[in-house]
Amino acid sequence: MNFDYAQLFSAAIPETVVVITAFLALLVDFIFLRNLPARTRTSLLATVTAVGCLSAIAWMGVSHSTYRLDDAIFVVNPMTQLVKQIILALTIFTAFISVQTNFTRHLGEYFILLLLASAGMMFLVSAENILAIFLALELLSLSLYVLTAFNKQSVFSAEAALKYFLFGGMSAAFTLFGLSLIYGVTGEMNLTAIAAKLAGKTTDPLFYVALVMTVIGFGFKVAAAPFHMWAPDAYQGSPTPVTSFIAAGSKVASFFILAKILFTGFAGAEGDAGWHHYISGWTPVLAILAALSVIIGNLAAISQKSVKRLLAYSAIAHGGYALLGILTADQKGFASLIYYVTTYALTVIGAFGVVAVVENYGGDKLSDFAGLSRRAPILSACMMVFMLSLAGIPPLAGFFGKFYVFTSAIQLGAKSLGLLWLVILAIAMSAVSLYYYLQVLKQIYVVDASDKTTVSVALPTQFVIVALAIAVVVLGCVPNLLVGKILAALSLG
Amino acid sequence: MHDAFFYIFAILTVFCAVMVVANPVSRSPITSAMFLVLTITCMAALFVQLHAFFLAAVQILVYAGAVMVLFLFVIMLLDLKEEERRRIKAVSAGLGTLAVGSILFLIIKSTLQFGQAGAIPPHTEGSTASLGKLLFSNYVLPFEILSLLLLVAMVGVILLSKKDLK
Amino acid sequence: MKPVGLEHYLVVSGLLFCLGLWGVIVRRNLLIIYMSLELMLNAANLALVAFSRFNNKLDGQVMVFFVITVAAAEVAVGLALIVALYRKKQSAHVEDLTTMKS
Repeated sequence: MNFDYAQLFSAAIPETVVVITAFLALLVDFIFLRNLPARTRTSLLATVTAVGCLSAIAWMGVSHSTYRLDDAIFVVNPMTQLVKQIILALTIFTAFISVQTNFTRHLGEYFILLLLASAGMMFLVSAENILAIFLALELLSLSLYVLTAFNKQSVFSAEAALKYFLFGGMSAAFTLFGLSLIYGVTGEMNLTAIAAKLAGKTTDPLFYVALVMTVIGFGFKVAAAPFHMWAPDAYQGSPTPVTSFIAAGSKVASFFILAKILFTGFAGAEGDAGWHHYISGWTPVLAILAALSVIIGNLAAISQKSVKRLLAYSAIAHGGYALLGILTADQKGFASLIYYVTTYALTVIGAFGVVAVVENYGGDKLSDFAGLSRRAPILSACMMVFMLSLAGIPPLAGFFGKFYVFTSAIQLGAKSLGLLWLVILAIAMSAVSLYYYLQVLKQIYVVDASDKTTVSVALPTQFVIVALAIAVVVLGCVPNLLVGKILAALSLG
Repeated sequence: MHDAFFYIFAILTVFCAVMVVANPVSRSPITSAMFLVLTITCMAALFVQLHAFFLAAVQILVYAGAVMVLFLFVIMLLDLKEEERRRIKAVSAGLGTLAVGSILFLIIKSTLQFGQAGAIPPHTEGSTASLGKLLFSNYVLPFEILSLLLLVAMVGVILLSKKDLK
Repeated sequence: MKPVGLEHYLVVSGLLFCLGLWGVIVRRNLLIIYMSLELMLNAANLALVAFSRFNNKLDGQVMVFFVITVAAAEVAVGLALIVALYRKKQSAHVEDLTTMKS
C-alpha cells in the first residue's frame, strides 16, 4: 500500500486552514478573551475567523491545482474552488453580523461550530462520492443543529433546533437509504462511475426508488415544498446570524451538491460529456417540487407578521426558482444556478443582518421596523436594496439571477420538456412576492415610528451590511463579474 | 442451514422492530429501547451471515452498547410519567400508515424485480484487516472528517446539556 | 423455497425502513421518534452490507462503519437537544413544539 498522503494534504490545505482557524478561535477565546466585554470578544473572534477564511480564499486563488482522490472522495477543480471561496466569504459575513447580537456567552464554541460547519460545506462541495457526500452533509447538519439551539435563554431556539433536528434526521435517513440503493444497483460509490454504469441500460425499478428517496432527502435539506415544514420555525427560532448562515451558506452548498448528484451521478451518458443527456426520471419529480415551492412559499409569506418567518417562506420560494435552474440540466443552467444562489445568499445575509440589528430594539415583527428610515437611514437604504433584489427588480442582482434561470429554462423548453408553464408560474409568483417585500419597505419608509430612538449599529456589522448592499448592486449592474468566473471555471473543470 | 439462520434472525429483527414502534402492550420508551437493543443484536447476527464480522462487533459495541445506554440515561433523566396517557391521533396514524404502506409496496415490488439478484458469490474479501487498510489509506480523509464530526457532537452536547453558567 | 439471496436481505431492510418511517410519522414521543430514526439508518446499513457482500466489494462495509459512528454522534446531539428543551418546557412531546405558531 503506498497511498500519497502528502498530495492529499496539499490538496486539502484550504480545509485544513479553516479547521485550524476553528481551533484557534476556541483557544483564543478560552485563554485571552474571557474577561472582555461581549462585543469586543465577538469582534476579535470574528476577525480571527475572517483572517483564517481570507487566507484560505487567497490560497485557493493562488494555487490552481486540480486533484482527484481515488474514488472521487475529494475532488479539487476550478469550479469547486470557486464555490468554496463563495462559501468562505459568506462565513466571514455571518461572523461579522454576529457582532451585533448577544444571544450567548459561549462565543468560542459559537465560532468553532460556525467554522466547522463551513469546513463541512467545503468538504461537501469537493465530494463526488456518496460516502463523502453523506459524511460532509452530516458534519454540516450537526453543526447547524447545535448552532440553532445556541440561544439557551429562548424556548424558541430549543424548539427550532429540535424541529430542525427531526426533519434533518429524516432527511439523512432518506438520503442514506436512497444512496445505498444506488450503490447496490450500480456497485459503485463515485458519481462518475455510477453514471457510467447507468449509461445505456434499461433502468432498474429499484433505481427509481433510490432516485425518489434521494430527491426527497435533499428536498428536506433545501426546504423545497412539500418538505419545507421545518424551515419557518427553524428560521424564526434560531439566533439571527445562524438563520442567515442556514439560509445562505447551507443553501449554496446543498444546491451545488444536489446539482452535482443529478448532473454527474444520474447523467445517463458517459462522464462529463453527459451534460445534455439525463435520465428523465428526476425531471418530473423536481418540477413538481419547484412548482409547489414557488406557490406555497410566496403565498404563505404574504400573511406573516414576523420578518424572519417572512424571509423563511421567501427562502422556500427562492429554493423553487433555484430548482428551476437545476431542471434545465445543462451547463448554462448550472451556471445560472450558481449565480442565482450566490446572489441570493449575499442578499439574504444582508437582510438578516438588518433584522439582527433591529431585533435589539424589540423584536423581528413587521411593526418593529416601523419608521426605521428615520432611526437608521443607512440601514434602511440597505434593506431597501435587499428587499428589491429579493423581489427581482432590475438592475439588482436578484433580477439577473431570476432572468438567467428563467431564460435558460425557456431555451430548454423549446427542446423537449415544456418547462414553459413552470417559468410562467414562477414569473407570476414573483409578481406576487413583490407585495410582501414592499410591505416590509412600507413599514420602514411610510409608517411612523412609535419609538424614536436612533438605532446604533456595531461598526463591523454596519460595514458588512453596506458592503453586501454594494455587492448586490454591483453584481446586478455588472453580472459578468461573477458569471464570467463561473463560466471560466466550468470550462476549465 | 444458512437459510434457516437467515429466516430466524430476519423474523426476529422485524418482530423486534415492530415492538419498538408499535408495542401493543406498553407505550413506555424503556420497552421500546429494550426492543431496539434486541433488533440491533439480531441485525448483528445478519451481518455475521454476510461475513461482515467487524461491523457485527461494532454494531453491538457502539449501538447496543453506547447508543442505547445514552438513550436509557436520558429516559431516566426525564420524568416521563404523562407520556403513557396520550393517545395516538387516528387521522394522522391512518394517513401515515397509508403513505408508509405505499412506500413499502414500492420498495418490495422493485426489490423483487431487481435484475442483479442472485446467489451469494464465493467469499473472497471482507476480512477486518483489509477493511482497516482501506480505512487508513483511501478513506483517510472521510476518517478525518468523522473526527471533526465527533468534535462537533462533543462541543454541542456539552454546550447544550450544561446548565447555563451566569 | 428459493435459497436466500440479496433480495431477501433487501426486503428485510425495506421493512425496517418503513417501520422506522411509520414510527417517525405516527408516534408522538420524541425518544421513540429518535429510535425510529435509528431503525431507518439501520435499514440502510443492512442494505449496504448486503450489497457489499453480493457485489463482492468492501466499500459498502466501510460506509456502514462511518454511518454507525455518525448515527452515534447524531443521537448524542439529539438527546442533548431533548434535554435542553425539557429544561424549558418539561415535555418531550412533538405536540408541544408549537410555541412559534402564533
